[in-house]
Amino acid sequence: MIRTLALSALVATLAITSVSATEDMSKWLRPSEIPQPKNNKLTPERIELGKLLYFDTRLSSSGEVSCATCHHPKRGWTDEKPTAKAVGVDGRVGPRNSPVVLNTAYQNRQFWDGRARTLEQQALGPIEADVEMNMPLDVLLPKLRKIKGYVELFEKAYPGEGITEKTLAKAIASFERTVVSTESPFDKYAKGDKYAISDKAKEGFELFAGKAGCINCHDGFNFTDGSFHNIGLHDGELQGKELGRYLVKMRAAWYGVMKTPTLRDVAKSFPYFHDGSVKTLEEATAICAGGGRFEHNVKNKSLSIVDRHLTKEEIDKVVAFMHTLTGPDMDLTIPTKFPQ
Amino acid sequence: MKKILLVAVLAVSTLFSADHVIDQKGKTFIPHEITVAVGDTLTFKNSDPFAHNAYTDDEANEFDIGMQSPGTNASVTIKAAGTFSVECAIHPNMLLEVTAK
Repeated sequence: MIRTLALSALVATLAITSVSATEDMSKWLRPSEIPQPKNNKLTPERIELGKLLYFDTRLSSSGEVSCATCHHPKRGWTDEKPTAKAVGVDGRVGPRNSPVVLNTAYQNRQFWDGRARTLEQQALGPIEADVEMNMPLDVLLPKLRKIKGYVELFEKAYPGEGITEKTLAKAIASFERTVVSTESPFDKYAKGDKYAISDKAKEGFELFAGKAGCINCHDGFNFTDGSFHNIGLHDGELQGKELGRYLVKMRAAWYGVMKTPTLRDVAKSFPYFHDGSVKTLEEATAICAGGGRFEHNVKNKSLSIVDRHLTKEEIDKVVAFMHTLTGPDMDLTIPTKFPQ
Repeated sequence: MKKILLVAVLAVSTLFSADHVIDQKGKTFIPHEITVAVGDTLTFKNSDPFAHNAYTDDEANEFDIGMQSPGTNASVTIKAAGTFSVECAIHPNMLLEVTAK
């Protein structure tokens, strides 16, 4: 009887172990296809048009700022600045860290506060924002319609639809949708190459999925589950854009919450957090796994943000693991000539 | 007499109303779609090791159960017929489709 019970316990333990996050690697594998909306399927013409628009500074009021100014492929698809600084548009400074464009195709909420559901809904926001490109669409659209090269490219990408808010948004979204992760050392490890990452990184992965609790939010192949949290970067009453998703709707659960960012290529996308207040992954990990920057007097702090009592050595291991999520730069030719 | 009738009707409706358990596990509502009757209750069970917050903005059945700790249950009563979606305010990828008849 005791043997039977012991055997049952062993089988149960093995069953639990066999589905642990670090042993069943299927959830971490990159998907083979990019999701696309039915009304804006990816085509080479749409992607190429979107790329030109993404890098074209004529889409800003100053003529010096493009989408790429704050979301540049050589700077981790962000800008290495704490908060967005549209240097060309009067040097204005945005209130939040420029979010990375990488893998946004896989997210069903865009912006730090999730106010847009799709890339098409997101694409025009920064063009019109006065702290970003500061270009009203009723000025931009007639301007684009006068550029013969763009008229031809829009016709090829969206035949008969013209240059409108919709086709402009669709084209930019099409390019953004192609900005996806390349194969990182971790991906090779997840596919079975046990030597693709160091032992230190493997221990970091175990901590990431276990004691450190990172997996509670940075889950799945994109290392985000798309969830929204207040991680306790500020205490007391929050003001302005710090209110996060609460600005979208005053729901109690949305007070001060921001979207969980992807950790893919995270070593390239410093500084960190929505306010860009942290320069290193070590500090970011210490805050998230240490109960937040402020432990007390944080309204609506996520229940996942608690002190996990990590040692410095353990934090270093988690960071070593996060570095294995960096893949080579995607194959991309940055345009230098634009339609005339 | 009217009062007695009303109490009887309420008693009968309570007697026949059902409770449907919606598990929140692995950041998923289980089941993710359900057909219920007006007067039934939905009991949201949190089996995950972190918080959830089920809500709907449906006008006729609006509810927001607030931040729900692991291992707890929270119930709401279906007030009107219709089809509506329930989301988690923390995990917007979680979706429950409810048809109330």
